[in-house]
Amino acid sequence: MTKPSVRKTEYKPQTYYDYSLLFITLILVCIGLVMVYSTSSYYAVKQKFGDAAYFFKRQLISAVIGTFVMIVVSKIDYFFYIKGIGKKYKFRLLFLAYMLCIALQVYVLFFGEEVKGAKRWIKIPVLGTFQPSELTKICVILLVAYIVYAAPKRLDTVFGFIRVLIFVCPLLGLVAAENLSTAIIIAGITFVVCFVVARRKGYFFVAGFLAVLVVAGYIFLGEAFRGERIDAWLNVETHPKGYQILQGLYAIASGGLWGKGLGQSMQKLGFIPESHNDMIFSVICEELGIIGALAIILMYVLLLWRLFVVAVNARDLFGSLICVGIMVHIAMQVLINIAVVTNTIPSTGIPLPFISYGGTSLVVLMAEMGIALSVSNRIEYER
Amino acid sequence: MRQISTKQRKTALFVISVLIVATAGLVIRLMFLMIFHSAEYAKAANELHERERSIKAARGVIYDRNGVILADNKPVCTVSVIHSQITEPERVISVLCEVLELPEEKVRKRVEKVSSIERIKANVEKETADYLRSFELDGVMVDEDYKRYYPFGTLASRVIGFTGGDNQGIIGLEVKYDSLLEGIPGKILTLTTAHGTEIPNAAENRKEPIAGNSLTVSLDVNIQKYAEQAALKVLEAKSANHVSLIVMNPQNGEIYAMVNVPEFDLNDPYTLNTEYAAKAGEETLSGEKKNELLNQMWRNPCISDTYEPGSTFKIITATAAFEHNAVSLTDRFFCPGYKIVEDRTIHCHKVGGHGSESFVDGIRNSCNPVFMEIGARVGTEGMYETFEKLGLMRKTGIDLPGEASSIMHKTDNIKAVELATISFGQSFQITPIQLLSAVSTVINGGKQIVPHFGVYAKNTEENTVKTYQYEGKTGIVSEETCETMKMLLESVVHEGTGKRAYLPGFRIGGKTATSEKLPRSSNRYISSFLGFAPAENPQVIAMVMIDEPEGIYYGGTIAAPVIAEVFDSVLPYLGIEPVYSEDELKLEGVGQFSVPDMTGMTKEEVKALLKAYEFGEIYYTGEGDTVTEQFPEAGEKVNKKTSLILYTK
Repeated sequence: MTKPSVRKTEYKPQTYYDYSLLFITLILVCIGLVMVYSTSSYYAVKQKFGDAAYFFKRQLISAVIGTFVMIVVSKIDYFFYIKGIGKKYKFRLLFLAYMLCIALQVYVLFFGEEVKGAKRWIKIPVLGTFQPSELTKICVILLVAYIVYAAPKRLDTVFGFIRVLIFVCPLLGLVAAENLSTAIIIAGITFVVCFVVARRKGYFFVAGFLAVLVVAGYIFLGEAFRGERIDAWLNVETHPKGYQILQGLYAIASGGLWGKGLGQSMQKLGFIPESHNDMIFSVICEELGIIGALAIILMYVLLLWRLFVVAVNARDLFGSLICVGIMVHIAMQVLINIAVVTNTIPSTGIPLPFISYGGTSLVVLMAEMGIALSVSNRIEYER
Repeated sequence: MRQISTKQRKTALFVISVLIVATAGLVIRLMFLMIFHSAEYAKAANELHERERSIKAARGVIYDRNGVILADNKPVCTVSVIHSQITEPERVISVLCEVLELPEEKVRKRVEKVSSIERIKANVEKETADYLRSFELDGVMVDEDYKRYYPFGTLASRVIGFTGGDNQGIIGLEVKYDSLLEGIPGKILTLTTAHGTEIPNAAENRKEPIAGNSLTVSLDVNIQKYAEQAALKVLEAKSANHVSLIVMNPQNGEIYAMVNVPEFDLNDPYTLNTEYAAKAGEETLSGEKKNELLNQMWRNPCISDTYEPGSTFKIITATAAFEHNAVSLTDRFFCPGYKIVEDRTIHCHKVGGHGSESFVDGIRNSCNPVFMEIGARVGTEGMYETFEKLGLMRKTGIDLPGEASSIMHKTDNIKAVELATISFGQSFQITPIQLLSAVSTVINGGKQIVPHFGVYAKNTEENTVKTYQYEGKTGIVSEETCETMKMLLESVVHEGTGKRAYLPGFRIGGKTATSEKLPRSSNRYISSFLGFAPAENPQVIAMVMIDEPEGIYYGGTIAAPVIAEVFDSVLPYLGIEPVYSEDELKLEGVGQFSVPDMTGMTKEEVKALLKAYEFGEIYYTGEGDTVTEQFPEAGEKVNKKTSLILYTK
């Protein structure tokens, strides 16, 4: 890859478009479709649906919408979100999105669909369910990038960081109320974006240490069911709540080097509850083996690398920070998801980006990739 | 427009590095799980997925020496239920109760138990199982397997033995050759989903059972039957406790028959036979008591019980004496009816005494003082040296479980009195099989033998898997002693105490014994006779033991005829033709003749002709006067007094 230059020249600059990023994304989405079909067909037939392709079809629709959204978004200048729109009353799209997210998060707290003891979904007729926290993540990425971009030097002191937190906190708090893991991701994005920009970073280490303390305190002293998760994590083989993770471990371990072959998983046959969701990686390991799992992990690493390349070459700081945010978002989800299925950390419900079943997550993630592509599209370089 | 600074780029590089390192960490964790924990978790997972059904391996068949099946398998069924597949639990319970004749409570418990598979009843007859299948109940599974079946029922029950519910040998050859016969059970592993339904088209992991090897034993069903018949006859006639009879080849130790009557039914081994049922009486037995009686019933006295051999042991004493040159045939002895040894008077069985006699007379008369005398001449060391050589100090190594060892004096404790009693077979105990194998060595030219049943084993493809070798040392006893002993023992039958074992045309050697059971005052005896034939080159050796006969109990009187009866059938059966001496042919009904052709003759003519022949009963069947067929046919060689059947038209 030729290193793109960001300098303006007298020649007509070529615009750049990171096709690698585009295709890595599409490949991951396709792998996801195959694996969702493989993992969900038994469950789909077993449940009232009676249609083996039920989840696959829904995921396929999301993927098509997502692809469309991604390409459209990639052609929109990302400054569009922070430019003032309207003639009489100027407003910024980002501000609108921010308000909308707060509204949705409040709504979901009170009127959300409750699934397995957590209110995280909003029921929408015809389309199914929508998870506002997914939208919140993209909103936070843009918001933090914008705030920091507007005044990067403020972050040299802790007060600049606190200023950012003040903007993020309403959303963070609302998300954390029902979905700790998403809240951690949001906090992580905020933290890393600020960290990249700040020229003095001492206070980040203090803040990071405090954050770890807060999270640990929350985990150990928080609600009863979170304490239980720790127990389940430590005693995965005996704890009743450890069942799902243990089944996942069985799946991972029985994959071996080459796996049992696509579609040959035993653990998806009702042993791992809803294996097409957060536990999908364990079935990937079982069916495709270490080789398959490593190939997928490698795809994620490549994706992160492309995001990094776009970030460091972006036309402006705003684009760079957006890409850093997206990179952190995807990396954290992948890391947390794999860490959970391998029982490295206590179980928490984070889907595997692009692969796990879930329409909102897929469309939002692809939209994010669209933004990243849009950033790449603003890179100018000389022939 | 503000761009990302170099420092910020470096920070971004740092961030992505951290992320990649974290990813690498997880990859390591993943590989750790998938490589090092793979086996452990995969096993646990498989156990979760697989529903295992075992398939019994067909147990190897036991054949007699002529290929007659002694132990076979017949198909029976096992009925199980699969909880998750049951659709009509109540109907299943009621049908199972009715068809299998089980209490409802028991069936209900098993049907309602949440398990992958629950066995309801094993060993269900095939007809019953087929009837059960006709109900087509969901979740009820009928698996066919095998049950041991003994076509001859009681024949050689303690030798063959039987198997338990899991097809494992319990007693007899079934135990000894268990690992050979049992085969390797197969498995059907079906994969099931978490909801217990079998996965269609999933590669059924089926491990075929490997049938056990077949075993051919040296038993001969016909000889066993002859022996059993003879033993039963004397058992009844003498109201004895039980009668044991062993028929063996003295040259190589192959056992042709081992009878212990009353036998028990191998197809129903948990029911007491008449002998033990009588012992149990009317009372209902406690489990423990019944078990004790069953164990007694299953015991094989020929190998597991020791006894004082009595006079048959004089064969051994005489052998020891010849081997140590302590006696010659012409040595003369005097028997006043007792012998004083140290401070004891030990009596001869003949109260008046045998008077003056040669050693030959001594053994014919079974004279105790003679043997006390020669025993003393040989001395303890000499006697024990011979015992050791003849295998009386150790187990014979017979291929049956539960062989007992002999109970002998310690040489240090043997004084003159003990030595005297040992000389005529008292004050120590050996097993019948030990005596039989020791005597075999004496008469077969000094070859050590291991009494045995197992000959060879074949696998299902009819390839010989194993041929059992029982090599023994030769030259244990000198040829000379052997010849002398055979001659002496033949004369015992010909002219001495064993004369009731005499069979015209055959040269039989043998020795009688009457052992008084302990305590001596109880007047309970074991009468025995040990015989072999033909005396010059023994092909068969047999021994009978009658436990506690009523009335006359002398071995020579009641035990010797049993062996004569057995030999009468067995010797011709083994192809040993009688050779009659001049004197014998003069006896009535002895000898053979050729059957004349009588077809086409009238009754009158036949009558005239038959005056010249010694037929037994003559039967006519049919209406007419002319003979159309005859049995035995013309030209056939038959014994005198054979019945003749004529078909007329």
